[in-house]
Amino acid sequence: MTEIPETGELRAKVESISALPTVPSTLKQISSMLENSRLSVNELGSFISSDPALTSKILKMVNSAAYGFPNRISSISHAVMLLGLNVIRGLLLGVSVFDLMQKHIVGLWEHSMGCATVSRWIAQKKGIKEPEEVSVCGLLHDIGKVILLLHYPTQFDNASALAREKGITQHEAEKIHFDATHADVGSWLAMKWRFPINLVEAIGFHHQPHLSRQASLETAIVHVSDALVRAKGTVGDNYTRVPEIRPSSWELLGLSDDDVMEIFNILEETASEEAGEKECQEAY
Amino acid sequence: MRKAAPQELQPGMVLAKPVLRGTMVFLNEGAVLTESAISRIESMGIDNVFIEGKSEQPIPRDEAMALVENRFRNHDDSPVMMRVKKILSEHIEKLYD
Repeated sequence: MTEIPETGELRAKVESISALPTVPSTLKQISSMLENSRLSVNELGSFISSDPALTSKILKMVNSAAYGFPNRISSISHAVMLLGLNVIRGLLLGVSVFDLMQKHIVGLWEHSMGCATVSRWIAQKKGIKEPEEVSVCGLLHDIGKVILLLHYPTQFDNASALAREKGITQHEAEKIHFDATHADVGSWLAMKWRFPINLVEAIGFHHQPHLSRQASLETAIVHVSDALVRAKGTVGDNYTRVPEIRPSSWELLGLSDDDVMEIFNILEETASEEAGEKECQEAY
Repeated sequence: MRKAAPQELQPGMVLAKPVLRGTMVFLNEGAVLTESAISRIESMGIDNVFIEGKSEQPIPRDEAMALVENRFRNHDDSPVMMRVKKILSEHIEKLYD
């Protein structure tokens, strides 16, 4: 039986991400870059631009339904200008981590993209000034799962199995197996990477939105988006029980039945578009 | 949006994605297909194009509804969850109309 790490030990491990042998080197490099408090827009831009694969992934993201710019953004410098440093930092992390997601957790990439799309839609509806930042919260809310899985694969699998057997949520099962959850792990990392407090709280409290002090609206948006995307179901994720939406978060957002219907329609459309794109790429 | 093989195409259908010839756009998305456009597409050796319209659902309606029941298990006490479930069921019904 593998040992269950103490919360303090777990946090120390997670925070020394650059030293984790299981973490790929590109992610380590990005991690240490994001820890630098004096990282400038130009440095970030030239780092991304020097890597054609990274550049094309990020441009694909900013032009996708999750960000929804009507005119296609064709360069990294243009993207940074339009979306700001924090959003691009988040996207950089997103596209590098989610390669791992696709490989290890079936459906997590689709789920995260769905949450990014829905979070942005609700944020816009609520008149939030920077809906793209909320979209990044949606994109990265489950980042802790990837790190847990990479470093504690056995315990993570046990937690997932427990969730399935007992009909409890992944979050509850992780609490039993790790004494901390993927949400905690995600928020420790977001802090370490110097993300703004709204991102830290939205990631850390997406299952307990009532605990958010400084970003209750953003946290409620990610909490509700997470549940709506799970409700709709995605590839490989038709069986997970939908996490319960807290009535207080639901009331805070005040979504109408038509709004919810529109969200399901958007998810249906983007899912078939993504499937279409994959096939187009295969064809040419 | 759905996928259609060239021989399924009918005049009046609307492209949901551009049709490319090499790297050149032959017809853009939104283009309404004509007889002559269809015969050119047929001669291009493409397997599929994307047209507007409902895509075929991967699973039968009853199965989709049973999965919804499964995903919402143990939520009967929550009015919010029941409301979301009702809207989702209506959404799924429409996909199969």
